[in-house]
Amino acid sequence: MLEATGLMVFYENMLALNNVSLQCGDNEIVGVFGANSAGKSTLMYTLSGIMEDIRKKEDMAGGERITVLGRIRYLGEDITNLKPSSRARKGIVLCPERRRIFSESTVMENLRIGAYLATPAQTRETLDYVFKVFPALQTLRKRIGGFLSGGEQQMLAIARALMAQPRLLLLDEPLMGLSPLIQAMLVRATSEIRREKSISIIVTEQYARPVLPIVDYAFILENGAAVLEGGREELLSNPDVRSAYFGV
Amino acid sequence: MEILIYGLINSVNLALIALGFALVYGISRLPNFAHGALYVVSGFITWTFLRRLELNYLLSIVLALVIVGIVGALIYRFVLIRVRGMAISEIIASYAIGLAILEGFRWCGFKGLTYTLPVFVPGSVLIFGIPVDYHRMLVVGIGAAIVAFLWFFTHYTRIGLALRGMAQDERAALMLGIDSDLMAVVAMAFGSALAGLAAVLLLPLGNIVVEAGYNILVLAISVCIVGGLGSWMGAVLAAFLIGFAQILTVVYLGAHYQMVVALLAIILTLIVRPSGLFGRQKELEERV
Repeated sequence: MLEATGLMVFYENMLALNNVSLQCGDNEIVGVFGANSAGKSTLMYTLSGIMEDIRKKEDMAGGERITVLGRIRYLGEDITNLKPSSRARKGIVLCPERRRIFSESTVMENLRIGAYLATPAQTRETLDYVFKVFPALQTLRKRIGGFLSGGEQQMLAIARALMAQPRLLLLDEPLMGLSPLIQAMLVRATSEIRREKSISIIVTEQYARPVLPIVDYAFILENGAAVLEGGREELLSNPDVRSAYFGV
Repeated sequence: MEILIYGLINSVNLALIALGFALVYGISRLPNFAHGALYVVSGFITWTFLRRLELNYLLSIVLALVIVGIVGALIYRFVLIRVRGMAISEIIASYAIGLAILEGFRWCGFKGLTYTLPVFVPGSVLIFGIPVDYHRMLVVGIGAAIVAFLWFFTHYTRIGLALRGMAQDERAALMLGIDSDLMAVVAMAFGSALAGLAAVLLLPLGNIVVEAGYNILVLAISVCIVGGLGSWMGAVLAAFLIGFAQILTVVYLGAHYQMVVALLAIILTLIVRPSGLFGRQKELEERV
């Protein structure tokens, strides 16, 4: 489905992503794990094309010089130079770090803004679906986004991303700062979404443990480089990984 | 009573003037300093269609609005998009365009008091003993209709919702497939057409003069700053505040202090509450 080869991202002379290659197959969940500043968000921004937008804006304002190297192929097509809105149109939708809810709009409006790319029929169907996966949202429909709790905002962010009819959903640190109970619920929902919507998901996290049970394949980033990769079992049995990322 | 009626009319006029500016700023963070110029341009275009080409009045207005909308979109697409996100450059570029347009008109000989548009409905009526012309009443009605339309548009249509999404978090909107450059062009076209609409509604009450462009710009900015930049509900409220304040000054101090009120309002707001009445996300941020 998605294949990125040799991704390198520089902020001025600082290397944020170092020759990262990553694949995600059809209907797979791929995990990307790494500490703070390992390059997880940079990777997600690069895959979703937001990096292109950031680069363009920095360039225009004469700010930081950002260089992106490498190729990204998606559904057999080279999308390296596409702008983020075209990538979203093709089905790559990013649910960003820190959620970025439209904080002055209600839950319902957030969802309807998310449905910008969807047809009216798709909108109706997906609305029913997200209320099924996250029943809590149904009761919060009229609430202003900014007044929701962290867990509710995260549900809303995922639901909003689903409204854009993704085929490849990028979840950037969906569990950050949430209670273990909510984390478990979100992980369950993620695997449910993969199964029922038959989409592919790439998920990043700092701690692998809560997400690992549902990923098919995972990468471990360290200082911008993918130092390890493998299937779930393979990583679980690796003693280095166990001590560093699972807190065993 | 006089104060109440004329305060209301003046407030609606101010709201009409400021809405286009507020809309563009709210959506693409662009302080459109060419706003006043677009206002005057619409007046002259309508005048040309009506007086020179002798078209139907309504048709001239519609054509003028469409043309001004397109002009606004073109200005954005070919000039302002290059300085996107740099506030100072945006102000300088848009103000330069506005100056070029206004002084261009003056240079071409559009000056003096010969350029007038007819009122929509002539005549006036006495309300509680105060004469109010039909045209002014019509403007109030249309102004209210526009506010209602904008509210509906931004809450219930796909483009309107996308515009609001972009206004709140451009990057998040991008992730959902909303093309921010396209939306900014759309917003600018809308904002320009709104400036045009204000022009065709208000200009029949006076002459089309180049200087109006500068006054309109100052009024629009003061209303938007008092209301809180980016919030157009705030702008509507601020329009009422300044509108009534102006009428009170006219009644108790004298007509030529009107402009001072607007400028004083800017200064006071910046001292007392820099984010304006409805500064964006102020309360939300304090909560977090």
